[in-house]
Amino acid sequence: MNDREFLIGSGVFAASFIIYLSIGAPHFITGRLVMFFSIVLFSGILIYSTRKAQRGEDIFLRTIPGLKAVEEAVGRSTEMGKPVLFVPGISDMDQVETVAGVIVLGHVSKMTARYETPLNVPVSRAIVMKAAREACKESYLVEGRPDMFHEDMVHYVTDEQFAYAAGVNGIMVREKPAACVYMGKFYAESLILAETGNSIGAIQIAGTASQSQIPFFVTACDYTLIGEEFFAASAYLSDKPELVGAVKGQDMIKVIILILIFSGVILRMLFDLGYLNMNILELLTVR
Amino acid sequence: MNYLVELILKLAKVDRRWIFLIIGFVVLIPLIYPLALPIRPGKDSKEVYDFVEGLADSSKVLLSCEYGPSTKPEIHPMVTSLLHHLFSLDRGHKVYVVCLWPDGQFMAEEALEEVAEKRFGLTYGEDYVMLGFRPGNEAVVKGIVSDLRKLYTIDAKGTKIEDIPMMEGINRFEDFDFLFSGSAGYPGTTEWVQFAADPTSVPMSTGTTSIQVNEMMPYVLGGQIKGILAGMPGAAEYEELIGVKGIGTSGMDAQSVAHFVIVLFIFLGNLGYFIERKRSKKHQGS
Amino acid sequence: MLWKRQIPILIVSLIGFATLLGWFFDQPTFKSFVDDDATQWFDILAAFAIFLGGLNLLKLQTQKVLMKQKGWQYSLFAIGGLLFAIVAGFFVKGNPEVAWGAHVTSKGTLFKWMFNYMVSPMQATMFALLAFYVASASYRAFRIRNFEATLLLSSGIIIMIGRVPLGSYISSWFILYLIVLVGGIVVNTIFKNKQYTAVAVLAGIILVTVTGSSMGWPVDKPAVFYLPYLQEWIYRYPNSAGSRSIMIGIGLGIFGTSIRYILGIERSYIGE
Repeated sequence: MNDREFLIGSGVFAASFIIYLSIGAPHFITGRLVMFFSIVLFSGILIYSTRKAQRGEDIFLRTIPGLKAVEEAVGRSTEMGKPVLFVPGISDMDQVETVAGVIVLGHVSKMTARYETPLNVPVSRAIVMKAAREACKESYLVEGRPDMFHEDMVHYVTDEQFAYAAGVNGIMVREKPAACVYMGKFYAESLILAETGNSIGAIQIAGTASQSQIPFFVTACDYTLIGEEFFAASAYLSDKPELVGAVKGQDMIKVIILILIFSGVILRMLFDLGYLNMNILELLTVR
Repeated sequence: MNYLVELILKLAKVDRRWIFLIIGFVVLIPLIYPLALPIRPGKDSKEVYDFVEGLADSSKVLLSCEYGPSTKPEIHPMVTSLLHHLFSLDRGHKVYVVCLWPDGQFMAEEALEEVAEKRFGLTYGEDYVMLGFRPGNEAVVKGIVSDLRKLYTIDAKGTKIEDIPMMEGINRFEDFDFLFSGSAGYPGTTEWVQFAADPTSVPMSTGTTSIQVNEMMPYVLGGQIKGILAGMPGAAEYEELIGVKGIGTSGMDAQSVAHFVIVLFIFLGNLGYFIERKRSKKHQGS
Repeated sequence: MLWKRQIPILIVSLIGFATLLGWFFDQPTFKSFVDDDATQWFDILAAFAIFLGGLNLLKLQTQKVLMKQKGWQYSLFAIGGLLFAIVAGFFVKGNPEVAWGAHVTSKGTLFKWMFNYMVSPMQATMFALLAFYVASASYRAFRIRNFEATLLLSSGIIIMIGRVPLGSYISSWFILYLIVLVGGIVVNTIFKNKQYTAVAVLAGIILVTVTGSSMGWPVDKPAVFYLPYLQEWIYRYPNSAGSRSIMIGIGLGIFGTSIRYILGIERSYIGE
């Protein structure tokens, strides 16, 4: 889509919405109008920064040590002749983190194909197994090593959380992978996996947006991607302009949110002191 | 002095299996020989207690159980204490139990049998009902909000909803007066706040594992959740408030001693770290 | 190519937009689709997909047994467990008075027996491992390497001790004496003068002792040094502030990632 087409499309969308609002916005929950505009605005910012990046703008992404270490970890495994263990979390593909984890798996499997390192991906959900297999197969094909790919490198263990943790621990203790990569949504089993990985002397890289598990990974792993860094991993590893641009767009949205928070605090303070009639919280609260 | 220093250095590098053994003992011994340490209820537990105390007569309470055997020591005492509190008030409160986790149904049935059936001799279908587990994660929460009867046509025992006396007038989430979520993860408290309690303004409280309290605190401070029972200490505090001690209280003895021992290990580890650092600096200097 | 690329992207975009817009429109059919049907479609897919996973597990474990690979005996347990669960769930009720479906949680059934005596103890055992792992991880990782690590360590200790009943026995004055000693270490580190250190520590001890005596040594005053109050404050304020900022970051990350999928910018999930 070129700029002209994009502008025409946006114009048509805006005009349609204005007409829709003018005829009374049937079925639209007007209490959520602010959120609707926010989503449109933020999506617009993302699209704008993506297109800017695609046009060749040079975007700086700060170094994320955990992602830099992925290639080192795969290299270490190759030297030691040991496999790489990749754990894409214990949730299903309906969680964004799992999808992000599978995307990182695609990049990791490219490296294992390049370096001819065995890869072991135990999964906890059958749909994740299929998606992860496709991602690995594609990576091995792109690297010109389809012969190295075999379906059983991505295998199903169990849906049950702690049975899965026990199964993965067993794999770690028996096969002694040199690198363990945990990328996805985790719960209480995170520390069990990370401590076992530590006990076998593997280099461990974790990435999750599960807030309560981040401290465990930080304590037990060599590198941890916290929250947003994990979602930026696909942009960082692929270096594709559209993905890098989207990460920049997210940063721009964060600046807007910061401004909103500061101004909201000031406006609310003025309202509490009686200088302002408008309660900003009522405008921003969505029911 | 040198002997002491060497001993500290040795302890700082001890095999982790010794740590496991010591932790095993310090947890086991207080469970066998209780210390009966007094529990001091905190602000957040008191808020839950006060809210339940303040419920209007004949309130309809939705209890959601999303925990399993692994987190039972933390959440189960909260759920049994809440049930005890509600039924002991003798104000005609009705309890409706749903489960977002399949394991939650087992846990909820155990709690209801222990409290509602054996302790209070209440009648199923008139004082409490077990609607049971439905798959779908947050879709179940959304379904309860929009149309409960579409989601639950029968209860956990297979009885039609229309045939259960206390289900009269219950069609959606807003027909309840209070929600308590005993949650150990996903789906759980966050989903209830986001899709049910906050959009509909039905008040809710929660009991979660200690590790989840971090995530829930912003909702508690924002008033979207009325108080929180934070892990086993929260369960023990609630037991203290209702005056019925259970496994929450007995577990606190073991947790107290274990925490102190962990702090001692951390202290020893740091002592050894500093001695090593000083030695290597001296070595570099010379 | 069409089936593997364009159609999956189209499906993701359509369903993604529908789910997003479903939050803003209360047209009953549309809302019912978004809130109930769409998510249930996924559950139905996942339920059928379990066959794929189960068959994969059975295949790998059976291969291990047939080829007598290392540890093949354990695979017998895996296969046996899978078959036992299937039998308990679909073929043998154990209690003829209970209906199929309700037999999963009813008393006296084989499935309930399996849950009570196999699943529950095993789940509890694995979770209990965390107690040991937390101890060994804390012991290994909590070192005073720099200012941030010291802050992490001290807040961790305050919460660990303040949260448990034993912590309420520790007087604020004991903490104040500890702070005086730590202050002495800091003075010694900065000035490297034993006299200054001695004076600072002595002054601190005298000040705390005089204040404590005058107040009658109450256990929970000054409240700012009483561990249970301090841990409550840490939970409610600095911890919540940090949680909120991480939540906002994660929320933005999820928003950005989801919008990329819906708009078709990110296509790696289909292997591109």
